[in-house]
Amino acid sequence: MGEAIVITSGKGGVGKTTTTANLGTALALQGKKVCLIDTDIGLRNLDVILGLENRIIYDLVDVLEGRCKVHQALVKDKRFEDRLYLLPAAQTSDKNDINPEQMKELVTKLKEDYDFVIIDCPAGIEQGYKNAVAGAEKAIVVTTPEISAVRDADRIIGLLELEENLEPPKLIINRIRQHLMNSGDALDVNEITTHLSIDLLGIVADEESVISSSNRGEPVVMDPNNRASMGYRNIARRLLGESVPLMTMEKPNQSIFSKIKAVFAK
Amino acid sequence: MKNLVTIKGTKQGFVLQLDDRCAYADLLKELKGKVSDSALDGITEVQLHLGYRYYTEAQAKEITAAVQDNSDVKVTTITNDVVSEEECNRRVLERQSETYVGIVRSGQVVKAQGDLVIVGDVNQNGRVIAGGNVYVLGRLKGYAHAGANGNKEAVIAASWLEATHLKIDDALESMTDELTMLSEQPEMECAYLHTNGSIIIDRLQELRFIRPEISTFKGGS
Repeated sequence: MGEAIVITSGKGGVGKTTTTANLGTALALQGKKVCLIDTDIGLRNLDVILGLENRIIYDLVDVLEGRCKVHQALVKDKRFEDRLYLLPAAQTSDKNDINPEQMKELVTKLKEDYDFVIIDCPAGIEQGYKNAVAGAEKAIVVTTPEISAVRDADRIIGLLELEENLEPPKLIINRIRQHLMNSGDALDVNEITTHLSIDLLGIVADEESVISSSNRGEPVVMDPNNRASMGYRNIARRLLGESVPLMTMEKPNQSIFSKIKAVFAK
Repeated sequence: MKNLVTIKGTKQGFVLQLDDRCAYADLLKELKGKVSDSALDGITEVQLHLGYRYYTEAQAKEITAAVQDNSDVKVTTITNDVVSEEECNRRVLERQSETYVGIVRSGQVVKAQGDLVIVGDVNQNGRVIAGGNVYVLGRLKGYAHAGANGNKEAVIAASWLEATHLKIDDALESMTDELTMLSEQPEMECAYLHTNGSIIIDRLQELRFIRPEISTFKGGS
C-alpha cells in the first residue's frame, strides 16, 4: 500500500507542477513505482512538462465518469520502464465536474498498485483544491521567497491543518536566489520556516535550466549535475526516509582560480 | 394587611422597596396609591427596588409610569436581586478566559466571548476577536479586536506586537507607515483605548497602572 501526497501552494506560478514532475521522476529514478495525478482540470500542463502530451487518450474525468478504466487513462513514461505513470487532467471540462468523494475513491484504488501517488493541485482554495486534497494523507506546500507566496502558503497550511486525515504539511521553498537572500532583498529560508512554523522538506535553487528542460519535456531532475535537480533529488530521498542535510546554495562549480580571486577581492 | 411598598432613605437617596411576594396587580395598585399620597412630598427622585421579583422590560415601563403619572417624582433606576439564567451565562462567558493553542494563520478567525489567550503566533490576515482582552503569547502580526461587545476598557497585549490592525471596541487603528506607532523592537507591548478615543501602544509593564482592574489576583505577599 503506497502513500498519497498532494502538492499544493495556494498561489499560482510558484512551481507546483514542476515540483510534482520532478519529485515523481526522482522517486522513479530511485526505483519506486509512481503515479502522478494532474487535478488542474481545464488548465492541464503536467503532461507537457513530462513530455507526454501527445500520448494522452483518456483523462481523469473520463475515469471518474466511467467512460474508461483507470489503466486505460494512465500514460506510461517509457524512460522509466514501468515506474512512472501520469493520469492527466481533462482539458475540456472544469473543476466542478468532479467531487472529493470520487477523487478519494480513485486515489485509494491507485495506492494499491503504486508506492507513491503524487497529486498536483491547482492554484486557489476552491473546488479544485478540495478535490486534490481529498484522497491524500500527506501534503507538501510549495512556496517561493516572496511575501505574496508566503502569505498564500500560510493560508493553505491553515486549511490543510483542518483536514482530519492529513498529516501535518511539509514545506518546500522553491526558486531560491542566493544573492537576493544574502542581500536581504528576499526572505531567507529561516524567516520563512519560522513564520510558517512547519517542517522544511527541502529547498530548490532557481535555475534557468528548469525552464528549458520543462520546455523540452524532460524534468530537470534527470540531469544529475544540476543544482535544482540536486534539490529535488534530496527531497525525494527525504521522502523515502533518509536524512539528508540541507544543501548549501553556494555555486559549486567555482574554479580554484575564481576562489583565489574572491579571496583577494575581499 | 402588610405594607407592599415601603419608603427608605439611604445615602444614595430615597428607595421605594416593593414587596416581592404579592401579586403584581396588587403591587401596582398600592404603588399608585402610595405615590399619589402625601408621603412623597418633597421628594423629587426615587429608586425602585423589587427585591426577588423578576420583571420584564414592559413591566419596568409600567411601574415607572405608575410612579411618574401619579406624582411629580422621577424614577432614576429600577433594580432587583434576580439574575436570569441567560444573563448569568452571558456574564460568566464574558468573565471567563478562553485559550487557543496554535498558530492563527491567514484567513482564520478565532473568537471568544470573554478574554482570549493565544499561545502561538497570529500571522498576517489571521484574526483574533474577543469580548474581553486579547493576550498573545507569541507574535501578533495580524488583526486583533478586543472589547468587541462594547468594552472600551479592553486591552491587547502580546509578547511581540506588530499587528497590521488593532481594534478596541469600535476604534480601529491600522499600522500604516505614517503613524509608525510600532516600535523597532515591539517586544512585550500592550494596546489600550485612551479616553480621547485613540489607541495607544505602551510597554506591557505599564498595564498594571493603566488598567489595574484587569488583575483579579487577591492576597499574596
